Amino acid sequence: MSESSKKVNMPDKLVEVMVDSVFRKNGIKPEEVKNNLSEKQREMLKEMVADLKQQVEEFQQKRNESKTEE
Amino acid sequence: MSVYRSKTEGTNRFHEDLYGDDYACQPKETDCDTNNYQSAPAYFENSFSPNFGEASVVQDGDEYSYMEQESAEVIWVKESCNITVNSTDTQISASLQAALQLAISIVIRLSIADSADEEAVEQELMQTISSSQVNKQKIFIYNTKDATVTTTDTDISVNIQLLLQILIALVIMIDIL
Repeated sequence: MSESSKKVNMPDKLVEVMVDSVFRKNGIKPEEVKNNLSEKQREMLKEMVADLKQQVEEFQQKRNESKTEE
Repeated sequence: MSVYRSKTEGTNRFHEDLYGDDYACQPKETDCDTNNYQSAPAYFENSFSPNFGEASVVQDGDEYSYMEQESAEVIWVKESCNITVNSTDTQISASLQAALQLAISIVIRLSIADSADEEAVEQELMQTISSSQVNKQKIFIYNTKDATVTTTDTDISVNIQLLLQILIALVIMIDIL
């Protein structure tokens, strides 16, 4: 069951390459972008991402649970 | 055969009456065009008309600004009792998707100072993952007792996974994580 839901996942590397290509196409250099963020913003974004990641994981887990019940 | 013939003759005559002899050929093209435009939406409406069963649950999806996503669900319950319909999953995932989209745009907005680039990057990222997704579900319950129906929008949960991956890739790239 959980295998079938894993199958639809995109490989992380693929997404990474995609984001990189979009950056490149628009002439954005990650090294320059880093300097635009203050330490406080960085911390906030980090928390936000961690929180969302947790929510998604919970959601996927719930879905898998309800599927295995049936 | 003869019936078909008389029919086309009939429509031709109708056009001749309207436009005169000079337009005898030209209106044929436009006629064809308008017919196509009219019939397509009419079929679409009909297939989702709720008049079919005794009770119906019609749920229309939301459309987001960046991703074209449409989710339509029709559940007919006919001559049945004690049917539980459960589609809350879809609602949770929709809000989660919105949150992830918002997060991606926040990260881009904060990190890329140039506003022209910012918009282009954001749109491109969103477009690559899903150009257009339409999900239509029809469930027909007939002559049934004590059943539970749970619907899940698989498209949206795939989307959520993808959005999270993009967000994480983005954040790693600009050295936050």
